[in-house]
Amino acid sequence: MTKNDDSMEISYPPCQAACPILTDAREYIQRIAERRYEEAFNSVRKLNPLPGVCGRICTHPCEAACKRGQVEEPIAIAALKRFASDGPWTGQYKAVLPDKPTGHKVAVVGSGPAGLSAAQDLALFGHQVTIFEGLPVLGGMLRVGMPGYRLPKDVVDEEIRSIADLGVEIKTGVRIGEDFTISDLFDQGYQAVFLAIGAHKDRKLGVPGEEGLEGVVSAVSFLREVNQGENPEVGKSVAVIGGGNTAVDSCRSACRLGAREVHMIYRRGSEEMPAAEEEIREAIQEGVQISYLTSPVEILGKDGKVSALKCIKNELGKPDVSGRRSPKPIPGSEFTLDVDMVIAAIGQAPDSSLIADDVGVTERRKRIIVDGPYTLVTTQPGVFAGGDAVTGPATAVEAISAGKRAAISIDLYVRGKPVPTTEAPKAHETASLPQRLIDRTKTFARSRKASISVDQRLKGFDEVDLVFSEEAATKEALRCLHCYLGAKVDTEKCVSCLTCVRVCPLGIPTTSKMGEITIDAYLCQACGVCVLECPVRAIDINLGSRGEIAQHIEEAISSSKQPGPAIVGFFDLHGNFASKDVESLAQDYPNILPLMVFGLRRLDTSDILKAFEYGADGVFLAACQPDRDPFPKETERVKQRAAHARTLLEALGIDGGRLEIFDMPQEGLVEKESVAEMIQRLGNSGQARSA
Amino acid sequence: MKSGSNLERILESGQFAVTAEAGPPKGTSPKVIQRKGELLKLCCDALNVTDNQTAIVRMSSISGCILLKEQGVEPVLQMVVRDRNRLGLQSDLLGAAALGIRNVLCLSGDHQRFGNHPTAKGVYDIDSIQFIQMVKTMRDEHQFINGEEISGDAPFFIGAAANPFADPFEFRVTRLAKKVNAGADFIQTQGIFDVPKFVRWMEMVRDRGLHQKTHIVAGLIPMKSVGMARYMRNNVPGLSVPKELVDRMADSKDPKEEGVKICVEAIGQLTEVEGVHGVHIMAVAWEDIVPRIVEEAGLMPRPVI
Amino acid sequence: MITLEEKKLEEIEKMTKSCGRLLVLGCETCAAMSFAGGQRQVAELASAIRVGRKQSEDQGEVVEDSIARQCEPEFVDLIGDKVAECDAVLSLACGAGVQLLAERFPDKVVLPGCNTSFLGVTEELGVWSERCAGCGNCILDKTAGLCPIARCSKQLLNGPCGGSMNGKCEISKEVDCVWQMIIDRLTRLNRLEMLEEIFPVKDWTPAGHGGPRKMVREDLKT
Repeated sequence: MTKNDDSMEISYPPCQAACPILTDAREYIQRIAERRYEEAFNSVRKLNPLPGVCGRICTHPCEAACKRGQVEEPIAIAALKRFASDGPWTGQYKAVLPDKPTGHKVAVVGSGPAGLSAAQDLALFGHQVTIFEGLPVLGGMLRVGMPGYRLPKDVVDEEIRSIADLGVEIKTGVRIGEDFTISDLFDQGYQAVFLAIGAHKDRKLGVPGEEGLEGVVSAVSFLREVNQGENPEVGKSVAVIGGGNTAVDSCRSACRLGAREVHMIYRRGSEEMPAAEEEIREAIQEGVQISYLTSPVEILGKDGKVSALKCIKNELGKPDVSGRRSPKPIPGSEFTLDVDMVIAAIGQAPDSSLIADDVGVTERRKRIIVDGPYTLVTTQPGVFAGGDAVTGPATAVEAISAGKRAAISIDLYVRGKPVPTTEAPKAHETASLPQRLIDRTKTFARSRKASISVDQRLKGFDEVDLVFSEEAATKEALRCLHCYLGAKVDTEKCVSCLTCVRVCPLGIPTTSKMGEITIDAYLCQACGVCVLECPVRAIDINLGSRGEIAQHIEEAISSSKQPGPAIVGFFDLHGNFASKDVESLAQDYPNILPLMVFGLRRLDTSDILKAFEYGADGVFLAACQPDRDPFPKETERVKQRAAHARTLLEALGIDGGRLEIFDMPQEGLVEKESVAEMIQRLGNSGQARSA
Repeated sequence: MKSGSNLERILESGQFAVTAEAGPPKGTSPKVIQRKGELLKLCCDALNVTDNQTAIVRMSSISGCILLKEQGVEPVLQMVVRDRNRLGLQSDLLGAAALGIRNVLCLSGDHQRFGNHPTAKGVYDIDSIQFIQMVKTMRDEHQFINGEEISGDAPFFIGAAANPFADPFEFRVTRLAKKVNAGADFIQTQGIFDVPKFVRWMEMVRDRGLHQKTHIVAGLIPMKSVGMARYMRNNVPGLSVPKELVDRMADSKDPKEEGVKICVEAIGQLTEVEGVHGVHIMAVAWEDIVPRIVEEAGLMPRPVI
Repeated sequence: MITLEEKKLEEIEKMTKSCGRLLVLGCETCAAMSFAGGQRQVAELASAIRVGRKQSEDQGEVVEDSIARQCEPEFVDLIGDKVAECDAVLSLACGAGVQLLAERFPDKVVLPGCNTSFLGVTEELGVWSERCAGCGNCILDKTAGLCPIARCSKQLLNGPCGGSMNGKCEISKEVDCVWQMIIDRLTRLNRLEMLEEIFPVKDWTPAGHGGPRKMVREDLKT
């Protein structure tokens, strides 16, 4: 009689669909909300070898796709990933290597995110992997392109070490095309080569004065020096040309190295600027001055040194091939900035001279040619390529994705299997929410990352952003709208009673004239109310299902061996408590068997009765503050159900006082006095459960 | 004495009682009842005034009772729960008490479908056993069914009906016991043709000692014709007319005479049955025959106590 | 739909006491929609009975099951094996379902867990009201689509009575006077003159006053 929405076929929530490596962000967000941080980390780590890196510098397309973004602001997914990757629990992670190595040898050239992720996955497939890195340090752009205030070196080192721990051999200071060639690798018995050499070659400004003047540097080399701890000298007044993240990194690094004035010169407007908004904001806080719609015309010199930068103002013309409106100089708008250093940050290209003899590269940008984004097969058999070397400068997560795809292709190749050409999945946009749904969705402000003070920042390269506090992280994770985790109607059981239609606080279920119920899995926020209200139990849910709740009750009670009363406490995960609160409750009050639920609203009278049935002497429901509850009106209804349960208990001759509702305190799980009182009271009055 | 009625006095004194039916007319004339009273007053101890018998509308039972009383005949007020709810029943009982009616027979009543208003809504607010209980409470506790107090006395001699021939046979005695426990002082049975079956029933009644707790008055229906015999045998639920009797009627040259004979014979047999304390003759539309039957059965003259 | 309500737990506990292994059997249509007999209520009630049995040390397992409709012999027969393993069945169906169970399982104790209420409509979640008395002879054409038999406290066919005040019935301010509603509606429809005529007395035979009802469709019988 009913059907589920056709969109059920799309199993990925928008955040996951948007991620180049299909990270199940929703899952680790859930685990954080449940205060199960180790599981959250494992969820991230199982797919992503560089969770700490991505937690800091990922451009998080997931957040752009996040459904919550249509309500007020997206979930701070990247910051949550960093939280999950930044705690003591991360040390527990152990990747599982296959029992027997395959015996195949694979060479990975380059230790950036593409190379590292390929190396990890290949190692996990059981292959013997060697990384060849041209620089003395590992990590590629992560190490030498990314300033330490954004991505501390030790984070990169730590994550590389866990990859090395899988048995990956690492050679540094060996540069392809100089110290060895691809054919050398095949000669050494490597059956496949993955080229992940990145894009470390600067593009030139192409203005007079660029060559020959002291004080003109490329961003890549500038940042490389900075990141290798060489503390390059900077001018008093620095102009950085470009509008991307590299330009911003250069500006902010220059600030930290003592420049008094830093100008960022960008040819388009602020709307078009590709750098991350947050980076730009922090740069401005640190004193960077941005000149939009400005292009350099000439670098002026004095005594062989840079003395000024001549610029011209632009206006935006028609959109160019990239879809952005192209800048057109305004005649006569030239002006001059007095600067003594110019950093060119207008893009990088692969240094394909190193490998051009072996594999085909594109004509203009010199990128390595691959036959498709999924196979990453180059023009030479056995040689694969990915990352910036193929795409040009892109994001870390895209490079990781390339590494993972390469690992699959290489695995097939070395095992003699054909590498199938697969189409890249169609990028699908997050469907927009109906306005009435937005109106009914309770808003919760996005948690802000704390950061160190500007003064502190400018003193050196300390990491600017601090990790979320546990409180901020859990609160943020609880903002998740649970796309596709929501209600599913079992068409066999549904009797078209319309209860779901009536109880849904968001008005998601709809009915046809013949009683076919449709619940849009994307729109549903998995509040769970219809699941328990359905009189025929025809609806289930992927988040805190009824079966799960019942199982948890039984497990909790059967595992309790504490003398004295056994009291089941249902706690709303929306409360403001930390994982240590759970531990201390267990220590201080072992008679309490805590059960965490995604909203007390999920509890039916029968759940309460079940607890008694399984042998509990008492039950309490701990309700979170209404302002933390996404569905406070629904939670109110659990009180009616509890009152009903109490009536039933009393009908059976059981004191209704064995069932209590507590309000959770501002911080913590429960007011200890009320719990202590209940334990004592039930301890005195004898046990409800028969011996 | 519960009511001090003539019927009660006769039964309580151990005399064999005789009652008969005096059905009111489908009209307003008092003469019908008056005539029946006149006809039967000497041969019966009390006369039952039926209450919309067989669900056919007639003059009300209470009015019929009053007409009889005016003639010095003691009435038995028949009341059915089909037409009145507990309010109507109690209010009529108060009136009956006020008017000096002392015997009441508590009945369910034939279903309205059988009568002349088959589309009517049946009331059946309470059933006959609850009705008996209610009258007893009114009499003994001076209370209405809701527990409120009644001012004044309601001295009724409470009667109930019993049908030994309906199914399930074994349960019929249980139901009688319920009626007795509810407060039935006397029982008027369904018309008896199958005397042996009635005798078996009486054995069961005696086994339970019910004959000592209530007065069982055996019902009789004199047959006027073979057609009537056949009709009762085939069409009236709850009656058991043996084939032999139908044959006797059919074979007889004078069926009326044969009917009287059968009835008198039956009375003769019934007077011998332990626990039968009287007879109730239901000569519907043949009241004239009652004095003769009572006479031939040797039950005349009626005692005066 | 037929509306039902769960009996009070005290009553159920009393009737199921010492009856051994008990099957709590749901009915997934009307009873479920009334929140009196669907799987959700089965789970709740069975759990409550178990808690009660534990409390009073009454022996006997309480098992749960449910069928689509207890008023259909085919469905009822599907749980025959399960019923056979139990000493008693607590039916969460309407009276019809309970009786069909009793009929199909002649040797089992069959107990009612619900009270059958009326034919009605859902006003909102958790609120139902009577609309039809099943009188077997619909007169809604003459009463503006509002039934005085189901909704007039006195079942008057020529109402309203003298107790109608401010649109409410004399029995309670909570009860609307359906005759007021009929009049209002006929006024709106400009058909009030329909009420000028005396409504004739009703044939109550098809309403059950002619004895238990049975419906036979000759064209459907096989």
